[in-house]
Amino acid sequence: MHQAKDHVCRLTVMLLTLLSVGLLLFLVGFMLRQSFPAIRAVGLYELLFGTEWRPVIYQDVPQYGLFYLVLSTLYVSALAVLFALVIGVGCALFLTCAVGHRLRALLVPCIDLLAGIPSVVYGFVGLYVVVRTMERLGRAAGESILAGSIVLSVMILPYMISSCLHTMVQLRLRFEKASAALGVSHWHMAAELILPASGKGILISTALAAGRAMGETMAVMMVMGNAVIRPTLLGKGETISALIALEMGTAEVGSLHFSALYAAGLLLLVLLLAIHLGFSLLRRRLNREGVL
Amino acid sequence: MKHVKSLSAFVLALAMILSLCTACGQQSDDDFRPRIHFCGSTSLAPVIASIGASFQEEYGTWNNVDSSFPDAAIDISVTSGGSGDGPSSVADGTADFGMLARDIKDGEKEALGEGYTAYLVAYDALTISVNRDNPIVDKLDQLSTDTIRKIFSGELAYWDELDDSLEHKEIVLVIRDLSGGAAEVFEKNIMQGTPISANAIQSPSMGALAAKIAENPYAIGYAGYGVYQMNKASLFAFPVNGAAPTEENIRNGSYTMQRPVQFVTNRSLTAAEQAFCDYIFSDAGRRIVRENGYLPAY
Repeated sequence: MHQAKDHVCRLTVMLLTLLSVGLLLFLVGFMLRQSFPAIRAVGLYELLFGTEWRPVIYQDVPQYGLFYLVLSTLYVSALAVLFALVIGVGCALFLTCAVGHRLRALLVPCIDLLAGIPSVVYGFVGLYVVVRTMERLGRAAGESILAGSIVLSVMILPYMISSCLHTMVQLRLRFEKASAALGVSHWHMAAELILPASGKGILISTALAAGRAMGETMAVMMVMGNAVIRPTLLGKGETISALIALEMGTAEVGSLHFSALYAAGLLLLVLLLAIHLGFSLLRRRLNREGVL
Repeated sequence: MKHVKSLSAFVLALAMILSLCTACGQQSDDDFRPRIHFCGSTSLAPVIASIGASFQEEYGTWNNVDSSFPDAAIDISVTSGGSGDGPSSVADGTADFGMLARDIKDGEKEALGEGYTAYLVAYDALTISVNRDNPIVDKLDQLSTDTIRKIFSGELAYWDELDDSLEHKEIVLVIRDLSGGAAEVFEKNIMQGTPISANAIQSPSMGALAAKIAENPYAIGYAGYGVYQMNKASLFAFPVNGAAPTEENIRNGSYTMQRPVQFVTNRSLTAAEQAFCDYIFSDAGRRIVRENGYLPAY
C-alpha cells in the first residue's frame, strides 16, 4: 500500500517536472518556428550584426539589424548590475553586521517591498526624477543609457540584497562565536571573513539580477528614448524587450517584421541562457579550485 | 442475447448523442450573444470603451435596447493592441470588430474576405507641436513640408539653425514607433522616403509623446490632434504649408496630415451589433468621439 502511494507520488512529481521542461522546449520551438521566415529572408549574419533597424516597407528597403539593440541591452544591464552589486553588497553587509536583530526584521521587509512595486511606477519615477534631473544638468534630452541603468539598478536591488543577505547571515552565525573567542573585532570579521566567504552567494545573486535586468521592459522603455543607435553612456538606446513591446502591437501578423520581432525575442532568450550557463560554469570552476 | 442487449444499448446511446447534437445546433441558430468584442488600435480603444460604457449605463440589459432581445446584460469589451491587431483578430475570429487608426492595407482586406465592411468613426490629424515656452513660437508663423522633413531627418539639428536668435541647443525629436499608424501618416505627408533621424525618441504612446513635449522646451514631435487639444495650454501646433490644424481645415482636407479612425468586420452584423453601431453613430456617440479629442466623421 505504502509502495503504491510512493509510486503515485513519484509519478506525479515526474509528470509535473516533464511538463515544465516541455513548456520550455515548446516555447523555444515555437519561437524558432515563428522567427524562421526572418532568419531565412534576412540571414542570420545580417540579423545579428546589421546595425540598422528600419522595419517598414515604405522606407526603401526594410532593414532588420539587431546589433545595436543587443549592445544596448547588454550595456544597460551590465551597468545596472554593477550599480546594484556595489550598493547591494554594501547594504547586505550593513544589515548583517551593523544593525541588531530587531532593526533588521524591520528593514528587510521594506527592501523586499521594493520588489513588489510595478515596473511602470519605476518608469514614471525614472521619467520625472532621473530624466528630468539630467535635463536640468544641461542635456537637451535626459533619456539615456545612464538613466535606464539607474532605474534598472534600483529595480534589481531587492533581489541582490535578499539573496546576499541570506548567505551573509548564515556566515555570521558560523563565524561569530569563534571570532569573539579569539578576540577578533566585529568589523574585522565583517571585512575579512564574511565578505570574502560570501563570494558564491554574491555570484549567484549577480546572475539572477542580470537575468532580470535584461528582461525588464516597461521602466526601461520609458526612460531610454528607444533610438536604435550605437549606445553611449549619455546617448539614447533601445533594448530588445522594449523593441518587442513597442512594435509587436503594430506589426502586421505574419509579415517579415512580425517574424523579425520573434527572432529578436529568441535572441534575448539565447542571451539569457548563455549568461546563466556562463555563470554556472564559472561557479563550478571556482568551486573546484576552492576559491569560494 | 447478451449481444442483442449491448447492441441496443449502443444504438440507444448513439441516438441520445445525436439528439443532443441537433439540440445544440438548434440552440446556436437563435443563440444571442450579449458580448461584443472590439480589438485593435490604441487610438480608438478608449473612444469605443467610453461609448460602450455610456451604452451600458443607458440601457443595462439588451431587452431595454429592443424588446425582442433577451434579458441579458450588455457587455462591450475592448482590447487595445495596435492597428495591426484589429484586422488580424477579426480574421482569426477572436474579435467581432477590429479597430484601425489608418487606411486598411490590401493584404489585411484580403484576409478579411468577402464580408469586409468598414465603419469610419473619426479623423485624427497630426500636429507639428513644440513646447509653448520655446521662443520659436514667436519667430515662425508656419512650417513647410520641406523644413519639417529637414528637422525630422536630422539635417537641421539645432534650434539656432532654424532662426539665428535661438539658443544653440539640440532639437529633441519625439516620434511614435515606426510601424504605427501615426508614423505612417507622417511618412506619407512629410518624410516621403527620407529616413527619420535614428536619434529620435520613440514614445510608447501618444500621451507620453505629448507629455515629453510639454515638459521639454527643446522638443518637437507629431502630437495627435486629440492629445494636442487636451494639452493646448503647454503645446503649440504650427500651421503646415499655410494650413492651421483646425477642425474646418481637417474636415475639408486642406490640412493633409490626417488619418481615418475606423473599425472593420468580416461578416454581416447581428441585430445586437447593429444596435450598438447605431448608438456609436448617434449624437451621443458623436459627443464622446469629440470628448476624446477626435473629429467625428459623421
